[in-house]
Amino acid sequence: MPAPKATITRDEFDARVRQTGLPLNESQKAEFFAVYGYIEAMAERVRAGGHRRREVEPAIVFKPIR
Amino acid sequence: MNGIPTIASAAAEIASGRVSPVALAEACLARIDQHEAKLNSFIRLERERAIASARVAEAEIKAGRRRGPLHGIPFAHKDIYETAGIPTTCHSKLLQDYVPTKDAFTVAKLAEAGIVMLGKLATHEFAVGGPSFDLPWPPARNPWATEHFTGGSSSGTGAAVAAGFVLGGTGSCTGGSIRTPSAFCGLAGIKPTYGLVSRSGIQPLAFTLDHAGPLAWTVEDCAILLQTMAGHDLADPGSANVQIPDYRAGLVAGLAGQRVGVVRHFFETDNPVSAEVGAATEAAIGVLSRLGAQVSDVTLPPLLDWNACGWLILISEAYAVHEPWLRTRYNDYGKNLRERLTLGAFVSAADYINAVRFRRELQENLARVMADVDLLVLPTTVGPAPRLEDVTSFSSFETPNFTIPFNVAGVPALSVCNGFSASGLPLALQIVGRPFEEARVLRAGHAYEQATSWKERRPVL
Repeated sequence: MPAPKATITRDEFDARVRQTGLPLNESQKAEFFAVYGYIEAMAERVRAGGHRRREVEPAIVFKPIR
Repeated sequence: MNGIPTIASAAAEIASGRVSPVALAEACLARIDQHEAKLNSFIRLERERAIASARVAEAEIKAGRRRGPLHGIPFAHKDIYETAGIPTTCHSKLLQDYVPTKDAFTVAKLAEAGIVMLGKLATHEFAVGGPSFDLPWPPARNPWATEHFTGGSSSGTGAAVAAGFVLGGTGSCTGGSIRTPSAFCGLAGIKPTYGLVSRSGIQPLAFTLDHAGPLAWTVEDCAILLQTMAGHDLADPGSANVQIPDYRAGLVAGLAGQRVGVVRHFFETDNPVSAEVGAATEAAIGVLSRLGAQVSDVTLPPLLDWNACGWLILISEAYAVHEPWLRTRYNDYGKNLRERLTLGAFVSAADYINAVRFRRELQENLARVMADVDLLVLPTTVGPAPRLEDVTSFSSFETPNFTIPFNVAGVPALSVCNGFSASGLPLALQIVGRPFEEARVLRAGHAYEQATSWKERRPVL
């Protein structure tokens, strides 16, 4: 399954790279932009189309420690 | 069979005095000397320490102080398990000189049980990097065909156990890293319930997906190993405080009356497997049915749901673990690992939380399905081991796998050999249970192994 096309532009992607602080060179950035669509597709899937009930809790539950 | 014992058979021979731990260790070391150069399964061989340890075991056993079935058994640890005084490199340049001062909890338990540790085993870099040729050590190779992938990330464990260099080894599993090398190398391997085996002293990849467990030649051997490895550890916040049953004693109960659910849509429509994997799976289901299982098809959420949830969580948590070094030593990581981890930098906090909320929904769905069946079965992998050059950095995103769903759910999942491809590579069946029902899962795997002859075949090195 090839990566879906990213919905963001290359410039927007480069801005996100700068925010990470990772020292990616141009070749590395191009490579990651080519597969960025995988992240978007997975994120879309876990958002459940925005239909998840607000009260659904995460699987990890916080517990105070004595 | 070419004379390589199982843990169970070696334990019986040691207990009877017919075989000494020293002879057993020496036989393993001789096999390593002869064949390891082809397989690269070890990062570090501890020859003198192993022989010294075997001599101590021999003396203790002769003095009537046998500790149990693992006493004197040649063994090795995936090189993410910390071993006091012995480098723990995670197969990475970044840790090539790191020497822990304390054993991981599980390492200490296995040492107490009397295993003879032969060394530290190859892994994917930090348990996620994939087979890489740009690291201080080469990747492990598959003993069944050395141009082929062992599976990972417990790659060295898979190779070393299949080759008979050790009789068992430790693995870890965040998305399939025990079951995939078990499948590709013809072994048995179990990812237990999350928290059953302590993670403390094991280099983390993704905190909520990491599981520790054994790989061995047979299910019985996995049961013996898990008996020692399982147990509560206060140092691991995720450690479960549960009663540990006698896994080995429970193996004989058989499959009669067990309700087995086939997750058919995973491997027929969601990610269709090859014809020979499909045939091997159906044949295995037939065996289970003849052994008395009641078999039916079940439906879970789509495979892509499980993979999206699992991979988003994995890369986010793993990125957080590695962020400081990725920012300052980016190019000291191997290319495969850099590529896999870097994508985690682009997952937003909201998307991570949504993945964790989705995780609860998926868990609850699985629990509802497993209210009506005792076990699930499906193939472990889509096909047999690919060639090393065909394993890409992003292969996990290109095709969904059958293993990560059960890391997402945290339930026990076992891989057993269920045949061979036309080219002679192992195929495997995955058997999944409810939380903390390792005994039921192992019992099913053992019954299947006993009813088939796949374990009679070893790789020819």
